Amino acid sequence: MAKLARLDLGEEKLEAVTKDFDSILPYVERIQAIDTSGVEPFAMPSKARGWRQDRAMEVDDYTRELILSNFPERSGDLLAAPGVFETPKK
Amino acid sequence: MLLNELTIAEARRLLDSGEITARALTQACLDQIRSLDGALHAFLEVYEEDALQEADRSDARRQAGQMAGVLDGIPLAIKDNMLSQGKACTSGSKILQGHVSAYDSTVVAKLKAAGAVILGRTNMDEFAMGSSTERSAYGPTRHPRDPERVPGGSSGGSAVAVAANMCLGALGSDTGGSIRQPAAFCGVVGLKPTYGRVSRYGLMAMASSLDQIGPMTKTAEDAAMILHVIQGQDANDQTTGEVELFNPKWTESLKGVRIGLPKQAWGMDGVQEAVRDATLDAVNQLKNKGAEIVEIDLPYADEALAVYYVLMPCEVSANLSRFDGMRYGLRQQAPSLFETYAASRAQGLGDEVMRRILLGTFALSSGYIDAYYVQAKKVQTLIRRGYEEAFKSVDLIVTPTAPTTAFKLGEKTNDPLAMYLEDIFTVSINVAGLPAVSVPCDNNGGMPVGLQIIGPWFDEKSVLNAARHYELAAQKI
Repeated sequence: MAKLARLDLGEEKLEAVTKDFDSILPYVERIQAIDTSGVEPFAMPSKARGWRQDRAMEVDDYTRELILSNFPERSGDLLAAPGVFETPKK
Repeated sequence: MLLNELTIAEARRLLDSGEITARALTQACLDQIRSLDGALHAFLEVYEEDALQEADRSDARRQAGQMAGVLDGIPLAIKDNMLSQGKACTSGSKILQGHVSAYDSTVVAKLKAAGAVILGRTNMDEFAMGSSTERSAYGPTRHPRDPERVPGGSSGGSAVAVAANMCLGALGSDTGGSIRQPAAFCGVVGLKPTYGRVSRYGLMAMASSLDQIGPMTKTAEDAAMILHVIQGQDANDQTTGEVELFNPKWTESLKGVRIGLPKQAWGMDGVQEAVRDATLDAVNQLKNKGAEIVEIDLPYADEALAVYYVLMPCEVSANLSRFDGMRYGLRQQAPSLFETYAASRAQGLGDEVMRRILLGTFALSSGYIDAYYVQAKKVQTLIRRGYEEAFKSVDLIVTPTAPTTAFKLGEKTNDPLAMYLEDIFTVSINVAGLPAVSVPCDNNGGMPVGLQIIGPWFDEKSVLNAARHYELAAQKI
């Protein structure tokens, strides 16, 4: 689960969370005892009034600078990130 | 009376008549923050200079005979999960330390357009997950009546800012009770509007189908004033309703109003005696104002907490996947991309957040999704039907807001389930999407207690009207 959730927990935390699940899961599992035959999963009535166009927006310089200044690592105006296919050097 | 002790309605009258200035009002709030907040820690950041500038602009508008809106010159505080362009915003988390908002949330844009003075951002449980504000990565907020006690959460900072007269009103957000429960603990009014009443654009999402932004104020009338400004359909949030706008309607009495007391709530064990006594007394006051009180049956209300603790973590696990150390916030560099994600998140996210992400990841995983997530969605349908049925025979439903009064710091942090049970009366309201307010009860000078008044979808006016009648009956206003 931790891997799926991209969380590197470490031994101690992993143990603590497993213990928490021992008390939380039995509580939420009570919903399995409820008879839901013929009941639809709740879905909000769709209010979508058609799909929005996927288009690039112009933003003012101030907004643009705020977005860029939030990048943890920057290369000019580009976001610097580790390569997807990079394998760690052993 | 000190200016920061005024209600919004009173301040509005005095500003418009020229008896006070927005600058003096704002200064009084800033002075109160300076004198109390070192100990209480309601605010994560105070915008002293900006606030005074906004106040001066408000005064200039009034001098020129203009007015921006009903909140013009009113000093308010905003929870740290609503974006305000150019201001830091962290959702109470270290993973967003240093993050600066690139745009205004719709609610903040509306408050600014209405001329409100934004005093600062308030403390909260990390990513709105918690019922005590102890889970803030920046330290807890303390109860103004007893600093060894919690203010409730997750909107604890906003609740304390209002209760301690550091502002005239504040915005909070509520996914499972995070406006109503701290309002109850701190003795202020807290309204969670109907899902879809207020835009969530620019609110850092926790559970997108449950979150709502709402006002925390000293009176029901003040809450109505703020709701009136922040509401509305928004093209940027397609979950906002195409519904008639909220307009307050204050009646002469509650004659003709039928109020239902769900036997599941009132018959429960585990409700503190002080809470039971104060809320039963409040119900009597409503009766004295002409309301008819009846017992009702809310089947499946008992299952709402379990449903909430499946649905909410599922949405949380999806919503928080964006915090990966890439485009903003903390990045913990590691040899590979995957490890960078995992290390950044483990470093920047607190225990409660990680717990909920894991719970959600589990409940959505193949092999478990039908038994957990899908089943919870089906029970959600049953819970909503229960409320639909109930509202055929009553106009409003009333319960205590929380089973206890404010507990001591550290009392519940080691037992997640005990903390979750604090929300037992509030979560079903989010699951159903209904509007509900917590109004402070008369409680003989003990720790504050809240009464929760729940209304049918989009009927905030009846909810707030009943709250105001209670305030009049209990002579709080």
